[in-house]
Amino acid sequence: MLRVVAVEFKRSLLMLRRYPMEMVGQLIVITLIFYGLFLGARYIAGPAAQFGERLDALVVGYVLWTLALFAIGDLSWGLMNEAREGTLEQVFLSPFGPARVYMARNVAGLLLMLGLNLSILGLIMLLTGVRLDFSWAALAPLATVLLGAYGLGFLLGALALYFKRIQAFLNLFQFVLMFLIMTPFEQLHGPVRTAGFLLPMTPGAGQLRALLARGEAFDPDLFALALVSGIVYLAIGLWVFGRAVRIVKQRGLIGGY
Amino acid sequence: MAVLVADNLHKTFRAQGKTVRAVEGVSLRVERGEVLAFLGPNGAGKTTTIKMVAGLIHPDRGRVQVAGRDPHRDPWALRQLGAVLEGNRNVYWRLTPLENLEYFGVLKGLAAAEARRRGERLLERFDLSGKRSALTQQLSRGMQQKLAIAVSLIHEPALLLLDEPTLGLDVEAAETVKALIRELAAEGQAIVLTTHHLEVAQQLSHRVAIIREGRIVAEDLTDRLLARFSGDQYEIEVAGELDVARRTRLAALGAEALDGRIVFVGDAEGLWHVLEALKPLPILRVEKDRADLTKVFLKLIREDVRA
Ligand SMILES: Nc1ncnc2c1ncn2[C@@H]1O[C@H](COP(=O)(O)OP(=O)(O)OP(=O)(O)O)[C@@H](O)[C@H]1O
Ligand SMILES: [Mg+2]
Repeated sequence: MLRVVAVEFKRSLLMLRRYPMEMVGQLIVITLIFYGLFLGARYIAGPAAQFGERLDALVVGYVLWTLALFAIGDLSWGLMNEAREGTLEQVFLSPFGPARVYMARNVAGLLLMLGLNLSILGLIMLLTGVRLDFSWAALAPLATVLLGAYGLGFLLGALALYFKRIQAFLNLFQFVLMFLIMTPFEQLHGPVRTAGFLLPMTPGAGQLRALLARGEAFDPDLFALALVSGIVYLAIGLWVFGRAVRIVKQRGLIGGY
Repeated sequence: MAVLVADNLHKTFRAQGKTVRAVEGVSLRVERGEVLAFLGPNGAGKTTTIKMVAGLIHPDRGRVQVAGRDPHRDPWALRQLGAVLEGNRNVYWRLTPLENLEYFGVLKGLAAAEARRRGERLLERFDLSGKRSALTQQLSRGMQQKLAIAVSLIHEPALLLLDEPTLGLDVEAAETVKALIRELAAEGQAIVLTTHHLEVAQQLSHRVAIIREGRIVAEDLTDRLLARFSGDQYEIEVAGELDVARRTRLAALGAEALDGRIVFVGDAEGLWHVLEALKPLPILRVEKDRADLTKVFLKLIREDVRA
């Protein structure tokens, strides 16, 4: 499996390099955003400003937001493109099976995005001399949010596999993501809080806010909840994706008919 | 051991309220080193069958075994299968040929270094080395198709499925791809080939299966099928004039002399009598009339199989 992750990483990197303008554009956007954040333009972080006013919180929030957006949409866009271009069936011919290949693709994509963001961030820190005071504890809830995001990614991937064209729906999903990441369920009480925490990504996002924006101590119970939530949503996503694979094989729809 | 055993495959599609019985009871067998031409008119069920063999479409009924393993139950059966699918790109246009070979090699279970090594060899073989670092997008259609075949062979599968590999290629590109398939066949690669170019099928295949409306209507060794549909007609050419006595004897045997050629309709034993009658004239040529696959195909496809 590691081999597959490695080769997917290489493929993503190569594909990225083959769209030089897009790549340069992306680099410029990321650089500008981080630079703006460092200069104190908080509004640039957009929805991520929810995670606190301090620079490190803004940066973590922004990275989380872009990674989650990427995690949720990348698989579906890839599936739709490959079905249209006619490489999807070749991927399905791998003995690893589509779920594992796409999982590897997700991991590779995440590493790439993370690498891109962190190198730019490092560069800016070097240039401006500003040091961020990351609280490493924030990485744990961040990871659980990403698990949930990949779960949603596989759910949407199942839809993409079946319907082939879900672009409009995917665009709409940005707002769903915004709602899930920004609503402060951890500060609500009673059934609303419980119901809110049953939604994907909410416990992890809540804990991030608690840590970064309000400077609260790391709550192991909340983290356990966030971890379970992430794992459960990833499992649900994978299960539904597996069902979708069975259905499209039943109906002969893999490459689109 | 057979490389492919497909038993009694059935597939019915339901889409938009319509029911299409795409495949009804197809069985195929391919032995090691054998090329099976799988022929049939548009919509006969060839692609559906190929995809059932490749594990991409679940059959409603029936069983597939590739090198003894069922790709619908055991994904590692796919390790022994390579496929170039109809009308698809099959490879990434934004990667170079070598990058495609490495990527799909790893996806088939090879280590990256091994995939690259084999990829280099295949590029060499398929005369694509000059293009190893060009984007696949920029290659000609014929080269892209050759690359797709190379990629499907990277893991040295026991069975190669080629669904209309010459579709959409110009004459020259089609010739190149044909030559390549011929070479693979000569090396003993087991291949299932669908094509509408029947002369390609005739040249390349050891066996032919013809499918019509989801059912196999004929399956035999290519030679035997051709022989079966060939009339028992012989043409003989001799040097020198035929005298009247000879002509009469030939006529009595059922042979007819037409400007220098003698045409005989009859069995092999009758042929010897005709040759006897021609003795001692020097024989230039004796030839049995052979049907070509196009004639056989059209005949079988026009017959009402259900009658
Ligand atoms: N996924 C699907 N859903 C509904 N009908 C389908 C599907 N796939 C194929 N069919 C139908 O099944 C029949 C067999 O199609 P198939 O593609 O197997 O034919 P084919 O022999 O490959 O034809 P061609 O020579 O045109 O490639 C056709 O009537 C086709 O319209
Ligand atoms: Mg077809």
